[in-house]
Amino acid sequence: MSEPTIFFSEVNEKQGAFTRRAFLMGGLTGAGLLALTGRLIHLQLVEAQRYEKLAQSNQFNFRLVPPPRGLILDRNGVTLASNRPNFRLLVSREANMDVEQTVADLATLVAIDDKKRERLIRDIKRAPKKAPVQVMEDMSWEEFSRINVRAPELAGVTADMGEVRVYPYGGAFAHVIGYVARVNDKDIEAARKAGISPDPLLYNPGFRIGRQGVEKALDVELRGKAGAQKQEVDSQGRVVRQDPGGDIPATPGKEVRLTLDADIQNRALEVMGEESGAIVLMDCRTGDLLCMASTPSFDANRFVKGLSGPEYRALAGYERKPLLDKALYGTYAPGSTFKPTVALAALEAGVDPDTRVVCTGGWFFGNRTFHCWKPGGHGSQSMHEAIKNSCDVYFYQTALKIGPDIIARTARSMGFGQVFDIGIPGQKKGLVPDRAWKKRAFKDPRNQVWFPGESPSYGIGQGALTVNALQLAVMTSRLANGRKALNPRLIKSVGGIDRPHGDAVPDLPFSQEFLDIVRGGMIAVANDPTGGAYRQSQLGLGDILMAGKTGTAQVRSYDKAASRKSASVRWGLKDHNLYIAFAPIDAPRYAMSVLIEHGGLAGATAAAPRAREVMRVALLKDPEIRARIEKPLPMPELDEASLAEGAAPGPAVDGPPPPAAPPTPEPRP
Amino acid sequence: MTLSGGLTRPGERDRLIVKFTEIDWTFCLILCLIAGAGGMMMFSAAESSWMPWAAPHFIRFGVFFVMMIVLAMVDLRVWFAAAYPIYAVALLLLVGVELVGDAAKGAQRWLELGPVRFQPSEVMKVGIVLALARFYHGLSADNARMSWWLLAPLLLIGAPTLLVAHQPDLGTAILIAATGLAIMMLAGLSWRLIGAGVVLGVGAAIPFVMFVLHDYQRQRILTFLDPESDPKGTGYHILQSKIALGAGGLLGKGYGLGSQSQLDFLPEKHTDFMFATLAEEFGFAGCFSILFLYGAIIFMALRTASVSHSHFGRLSAAGVTATFALYVLINGAMVMGLAPVVGVPMPLLSYGGTVMLTVMIGFGLVQSVRVHRYSEVTSGRGALM
Repeated sequence: MSEPTIFFSEVNEKQGAFTRRAFLMGGLTGAGLLALTGRLIHLQLVEAQRYEKLAQSNQFNFRLVPPPRGLILDRNGVTLASNRPNFRLLVSREANMDVEQTVADLATLVAIDDKKRERLIRDIKRAPKKAPVQVMEDMSWEEFSRINVRAPELAGVTADMGEVRVYPYGGAFAHVIGYVARVNDKDIEAARKAGISPDPLLYNPGFRIGRQGVEKALDVELRGKAGAQKQEVDSQGRVVRQDPGGDIPATPGKEVRLTLDADIQNRALEVMGEESGAIVLMDCRTGDLLCMASTPSFDANRFVKGLSGPEYRALAGYERKPLLDKALYGTYAPGSTFKPTVALAALEAGVDPDTRVVCTGGWFFGNRTFHCWKPGGHGSQSMHEAIKNSCDVYFYQTALKIGPDIIARTARSMGFGQVFDIGIPGQKKGLVPDRAWKKRAFKDPRNQVWFPGESPSYGIGQGALTVNALQLAVMTSRLANGRKALNPRLIKSVGGIDRPHGDAVPDLPFSQEFLDIVRGGMIAVANDPTGGAYRQSQLGLGDILMAGKTGTAQVRSYDKAASRKSASVRWGLKDHNLYIAFAPIDAPRYAMSVLIEHGGLAGATAAAPRAREVMRVALLKDPEIRARIEKPLPMPELDEASLAEGAAPGPAVDGPPPPAAPPTPEPRP
Repeated sequence: MTLSGGLTRPGERDRLIVKFTEIDWTFCLILCLIAGAGGMMMFSAAESSWMPWAAPHFIRFGVFFVMMIVLAMVDLRVWFAAAYPIYAVALLLLVGVELVGDAAKGAQRWLELGPVRFQPSEVMKVGIVLALARFYHGLSADNARMSWWLLAPLLLIGAPTLLVAHQPDLGTAILIAATGLAIMMLAGLSWRLIGAGVVLGVGAAIPFVMFVLHDYQRQRILTFLDPESDPKGTGYHILQSKIALGAGGLLGKGYGLGSQSQLDFLPEKHTDFMFATLAEEFGFAGCFSILFLYGAIIFMALRTASVSHSHFGRLSAAGVTATFALYVLINGAMVMGLAPVVGVPMPLLSYGGTVMLTVMIGFGLVQSVRVHRYSEVTSGRGALM
């Protein structure tokens, strides 16, 4: 078995060397294992928390959950802006994804034309990895379910249900509420410039922010705060599980309640018909705006979707300017509706209201003749008569007498020449001219003085003077209120917290006596059978009467007075028609202004009947007024004469007889 | 000849039943524990499913375990006689791979012989151990320390190393070379030569990395030096593995609850990074236990080597142990972010038949050395014969 050639010494030497080296190898291996253990201690015991966090950030993703946008309601809780479900199709780019193929696959499921396909491919390729790009929205239920069935095999494709803004009244509140539209790069840039990091919601595909009106002004309040959905994802980013326990709920946007009344607003739009103009109606005790309509309007829902180029051009190019808010942003010469203000200024300046001015249909001053609207003239006029008849000559002369500064001061006290903080942007101040303005506005020193020839025009609300419809309504409110320098209020409450009322303001700087005189003139306009708008101002609500003042503002110089209202004149050259009114005359509750652009008729003809209709709705909705209308007839005094006459209070009118229980106008959706 | 108990009768030790009892059954139990832990983790990584990994793993281990016992019965002299032929066949197969090998993942590693598909480089891992043990068995201690004879083992190591590296399979090449060098060292290589070798090796490594390595290999090494530089690319594996380990903490997340492995953040979770999968679910406690078991295997095998009466037995058992220890240390270091990512699995714990086969053949050899520790292996006629 063994051979004798083995030398023990040799064997022992080899064995000894091996044993020593084997110990060494064992030692080295042991050291290696110890080093690994040390590393394990470092990773698993010392830095465990750090790696635990990293593992969690691998494991969990938070998906942004957009909050529902706050509702916008009218004063009675009618919904003016809400949200509707929106089925959307989203594609997010994943690693080694064939974008063209994906879009081609989608095109077999939903309608995607060639132009859209190109744009989509570009958008998806440009978007950051895993950032979803909206391919379609407002899909039908069929499309939505078709996509959902196929989604698992289409990498990066998801269909979800979002929400999108909807305005149930379409255009009725478009100028006040505005609309929401998609976030664009400029919005994000603007947020960055303002030094705030943009709300992560802005990056959410299809997210929309307020672009106009209330939607813009209260965007942050309406928007709410984003929530997050905790989901477990695998290394490919696919959602493996939802973890509802880790969700952060979204904070819904705050509910905004406006002072507007949907019924009144809708009636205003109805009566305006095709006309271009504005109607503003104010509660003249609180300053709440119950109606602020501008016509023609536009469907805000179209803007939410995104207007096509031709659609936008059609809106922007239409001569009646539907995109312009004529109640706030359009400024006009007030015409004769300015006369009550001039009268008040005259009283302030010490003019005796009984001083009479003789109107012969024209007045020669400087080197020209100032015509009265009534070719034959009004004859001898007191202030009351001059307001009632809207006698131009009276106000030419009075304005010249008192000068521009006191008119301007009075006008400002009544609300002209200023913007009101009603909570939405886009008001124009208009212009109340006076001597100081001339100095500021003109460079040429020769033009910096107030020329006497400017005063007569000022007296009838023409010349440099411009106002907007809201200011007219505020002026009327202040006049009707008689005590407070009311401010208008549009936002009733935000998130249930009331905004300050418009009546927490100082008193008007005018004596009651003066205000009564002016109001008396306006009452006469509408209620004296010889008044300028008598027939058009009968409410037919029994003893609830309306006071008013007509106005016609010329938009150009005329060769002949006759041509101004002619049907042959092009629309854009016709006069503007205005009417201001308040009611009831005994305890004024509502004040309003109506403005018809290029109505081409007298203020009484175009504007007053519309004012009457809107005012009726407002009055009939007011429980106090209704109670007054509907209360049983007062038991007549046991007076033979009155018994014989038959108790029929209220003026004898040729309008409709006062109904016992007038029907409330139905709101139109 | 020995003088112990009833085994003194001539021929008694050659009886099969006696050989069977001589096997180190504790050693075998530990092997089963490690393989069992691996199978259990595969079950977890496959979301509590026997397929596709756990069942094949257990079946393979069972087959290979039986094979290991059978190999343990094989007389050491048979191993001795077969040493050079096995090495020669392995070398031929490597050349064959070079010529007609099947390319998988850009590397030529596989050879198909009829229905069998295998990697000759794995055969070489056993072959190199046997050949070197066979060579040193006949070499005098002086010659093993320092002599021109030592060019022969360098050649024996160099040829397969270069062939495997050319496939390219850097991990296996390093393993073969390191195993061979370890055996040279165990055989009593002079410290001066070891020192010179280290200096030469480091000097050669830099140009080797810069010019010889493939791009992806170089990238792996550069990434290892700065893993955070490219967390989504090459550094991803290292980072995710470290996260899995660290997130395991002291006691782990619990069986089947490792997010890194269950959600596929961990690459190669059932093969090269199986240790990280285990670490995530069983924490430091689990990792330490497994490392302890590996340590036990290595020390028991080394003890087996040291009690052998033949130099061939000593060196072959120690050589196998060196291979195994290198597997464990390299994979451990890689998983823990201490070494670049090279394709070296954790033996028995990781999924993969070839490596398991190699390791179990190796342990069959180790057990054969133990069973036949008293048998005389002739020194033969000269070192190379």
